Amino acid sequence: MSRQPHNSGFMGGPGRQLRRALVYTTLIAISLVYAAPLLWMLSTSARPADQTMLIPPRLLADPTSRMPEYAQENYSSVWHDPVVNFPLYLRNTLVVSGLAVAGCVISSSIVAYGFARIRWRGRGALFALVLSTMMIPFPVVMAPLYVLFSRIGWVGTFRPLWVPFWFGNAFSIFLLRQFFLTLPKELDEAARIDGCSHWGTFWRIILPLSRPALAVVVLLHFTYMWNDFLAPLIFLTHRDQFTLALGLHLYQSQAGNTPWNLLMAASTMVIAPVLLLFVLTQRTFVQGVAAEGLKE
Amino acid sequence: MARAGRSPARRRRVPPSLVGLAWVSPWLVGFLAFFAVPMALSLYYSLTDYPLLEPPIYVGAQNYRDMLHDGVFRLVLVNTLIYAAFSVPLGTVVALVIAGLLNQRVRGVSLFRAAVFVPTLVPIVASAMVWMWLFNGELGLINQFLIHVVGTTHPPNWLGDKAWALPALVVMSLWVVGQPVVIYLAALQDVPVQLYEAAALDGMGPARRFWHVALPTISPVVLFNVVILTITCWQVFAVPFIMTEGGPDRATYFYTHYLYDNAFLYQKMGYASALAWVQLLIILVLTGVMFLVSRKLVHQRSA
Amino acid sequence: MEALRHTTAITRRAAVGVLGAAGLGFAVLGPRPRKDAPGGRVVLDYWEKWTGQEGRAMQRLVDRYNASQDRVFVRYFAMAGIGQKALIAIAGGDPPDIIGLWNFNIPAYAEAGALVALDELAAEFGIRREDYAAAVWPLLTHRDRLWGVVSTCGTVALYYNRAMFREAGLDPDRPPRTIDEFDEYNRRLTVVEGGSGGEGRRLARVGFIHTEPGWWSWLWGYFFGGTLYDGARDRATAASAENVAGYRWVQSYAERYGADALISFQSGLGVYGSAQNAFILGKVAMVNQGPWLVNTIVQYKPGMEYAVAPFPVEAGVYDAQRPIGLLDSDVLVIPRGTRHPREAMAFIAFTQRRENIEQLSREHCKNSPLAASSPEFLSSHPNPFVHVHDAIAQSPRAFVFPRTRTWPEYEKEFNAGMQRMWRLQEPAAGALERIQDRAQAQLDDAALRRTRRAELRGERA
Repeated sequence: MSRQPHNSGFMGGPGRQLRRALVYTTLIAISLVYAAPLLWMLSTSARPADQTMLIPPRLLADPTSRMPEYAQENYSSVWHDPVVNFPLYLRNTLVVSGLAVAGCVISSSIVAYGFARIRWRGRGALFALVLSTMMIPFPVVMAPLYVLFSRIGWVGTFRPLWVPFWFGNAFSIFLLRQFFLTLPKELDEAARIDGCSHWGTFWRIILPLSRPALAVVVLLHFTYMWNDFLAPLIFLTHRDQFTLALGLHLYQSQAGNTPWNLLMAASTMVIAPVLLLFVLTQRTFVQGVAAEGLKE
Repeated sequence: MARAGRSPARRRRVPPSLVGLAWVSPWLVGFLAFFAVPMALSLYYSLTDYPLLEPPIYVGAQNYRDMLHDGVFRLVLVNTLIYAAFSVPLGTVVALVIAGLLNQRVRGVSLFRAAVFVPTLVPIVASAMVWMWLFNGELGLINQFLIHVVGTTHPPNWLGDKAWALPALVVMSLWVVGQPVVIYLAALQDVPVQLYEAAALDGMGPARRFWHVALPTISPVVLFNVVILTITCWQVFAVPFIMTEGGPDRATYFYTHYLYDNAFLYQKMGYASALAWVQLLIILVLTGVMFLVSRKLVHQRSA
Repeated sequence: MEALRHTTAITRRAAVGVLGAAGLGFAVLGPRPRKDAPGGRVVLDYWEKWTGQEGRAMQRLVDRYNASQDRVFVRYFAMAGIGQKALIAIAGGDPPDIIGLWNFNIPAYAEAGALVALDELAAEFGIRREDYAAAVWPLLTHRDRLWGVVSTCGTVALYYNRAMFREAGLDPDRPPRTIDEFDEYNRRLTVVEGGSGGEGRRLARVGFIHTEPGWWSWLWGYFFGGTLYDGARDRATAASAENVAGYRWVQSYAERYGADALISFQSGLGVYGSAQNAFILGKVAMVNQGPWLVNTIVQYKPGMEYAVAPFPVEAGVYDAQRPIGLLDSDVLVIPRGTRHPREAMAFIAFTQRRENIEQLSREHCKNSPLAASSPEFLSSHPNPFVHVHDAIAQSPRAFVFPRTRTWPEYEKEFNAGMQRMWRLQEPAAGALERIQDRAQAQLDDAALRRTRRAELRGERA
């Protein structure tokens, strides 16, 4: 906020104050609209079933003091659901996301090093190819990938969901390459004089300096894995392997569309971890997203 | 690859392109295994009759010819286009407006930004559920709002009504504009202050400054994100799959959903692959057109 | 200030660390798949579509089976989107052992080679055609092979509100039998407010509308003697004279009510499984429904006065002894690739024992698929009119969905056509013609694919 104001005070006085008030009011209204669905979800998740049917609706349960109690009841009933094993699905999601993110970070940073810090012929063309794969949506390769994975017996295992990420991910490669390019060239030369190989330079110098970029990759990729629905839908066939996204879908189909308080409690549970992560790492997150969108 | 550069003497003997290739080889292998081979396979499948459980039979361009006579294909194409035609421009405008407001040197930007950004983090399955609840014809918050605050007597049964289901999904898509907002905000903050000052000296108000100064400057970023948004629209799957199952009466039946149904419900892997290739072509053409148009626009501006 | 920011940054980093460590810990030490099968038994995975009350009823049957012997353990699981998901699992080489599908899945699954043919296995376990109601067995076969066994079924009949009949001066013990009578009843049961024919016309309630709840938009021609598919010639017959007559009749209702009045009336109708159900609320006096409707009645309006009769038919095809009605059913199949087909069949055979199938049907509030229901079944059934459904199931004129693999696509065409007809956007004959053309194109395409496959097999042989 220490930045130079963009619309510095050429229009002083009451007009400006009015305008500022207007800007704030609009922003607050917009924020409320955007927050409303999730607030409503939270509120519904802390009410007994019969209080989801009130007309006109109320934001708080009656009596309000019992909301924690209602919430506890709903959440524990979801967590201990006899059919939809949320604890197991949480673990599955963590395992799959963890493996995918680890692979993605390791492989992408190696590849990005190759694109950023080594000069070689064909590097530009190949990097253009990397960028172009970002344009190919998953549904385009979904069918043949399914055939491929079923041939080698991977359908019904976690492998289709994480193994591909051990071979680099276009967006992460792009992001890390851009970051590696900003590191001064002298670092490499100094390292080389010290007898460092490429690997040594990469491992001992570049990687430690790239923590912010690596954090961005981890965060964005983790949320992607957490939210993915189509790939688990196709590749996970056994109920013991479901991820949270699939589990939530299953829970909805199990419960039908009536126990809204329980459905909202289940949704809140699935959302909460990513939200918490966002709250703690907002700046890194936002930087990453901005970097993604500003590329040319 | 670690050994390739251990001693300076040996490193000199290894040509640099080999070293470079070695470093990017993980990606190369992955590209071949998870992109190139599947794409080639998909091209081959698209020329076959392939019912998933039995071997493919070569049928030439039959699948592509079938598409010409497939009413459902036309329908999902039109649905997807309509959806994109509304949600891309509306989403872009909403994102620009919010980013413009956030750029007004307000206090607590991070709080406002978080409010707008958080929806993009919500797993699609969960947001589908939340919005089903909001759109519920009887008890949904939206209709309750329409009845008690706006005073509508017969609010639509959003997801259950053929005419309202697609607009409902467009409305929902406007809820997840957090990414473009953050990107546009970052781009706006990079606009040189001098440009604003000059415009202000010319007597421009903030709205006109945004329109005449800020927007042209960040237009390449906007264009890029419009392209991304358009590509995303072609992939819309989970939301209608969960919320409406493509209904009512196929009103929200989109391209990727039809592709999925062909592959895994109708057991027409061949046809699904042809659909995938057509999808890819459409995306390429749309992207190309958008870049061409933008180049023209940029030239006109600078002239 | 700077120091404070520094501390919060550190706290934040620590919190992220804790979060990460917790995640890692949960991933490593977290819960594992439940091993709910006692050791040493063969575990069969059984996927179903039923959840809630229906799912619990089937779970009880599974529990009884698991308790009845100690060699096999069946795990019941309600899978979301089972139609696709099962196929994905089968093609992926990791199928469950038993799948509860919809009857209309059988032709497509059978032609795709996704199922184990059951002729020999079923015979071995004593499952015989003559034990089932006439309409049931054809449902389970496709191209002369048996592919499934019925789990539950229900026939569809006319439910009417006795109180509303009395109010309208109609005899509640004499339901309409022919379409003409039905039209007359409907006229007397319908209440229009705000003058006749004018702008302010509003439907307060109606005798009947074809779109409530609109689950089977394709069956109205059957009450005029029509069918939709000629299996012997592989022809779609949607535009036959009988069907045209049927859908002209459907359109006559839309014309009588008026398109605008109808739209606003329908927008006020609640969803089926709720207290807002139009029939329960008395907004609609008659509906064409299955025996399970009683579940909803008992739950939301226990004292409701209603009765059930076969749906009326066109006078020319009326026959009191041979009612016409749809028989809809759920089926159990064994997917290709299971390692335990015999064990799966043993379980299926267990579900087919009279006491089991009747209890399941009772708990689902459906009629029984067996050729003759036991007196106890009829007398202890939660639906007091189950004998009406039973009679339809036994009738030689009970009909089932058109048995072709393209039926799901055909039905979608029909639903779209029905919308146009109901909104009077297109005359019945033209709409049916179009449906028939499209359905025929789908049938021809499927036939072409079959021939291609057959040729390939011939070349190989």
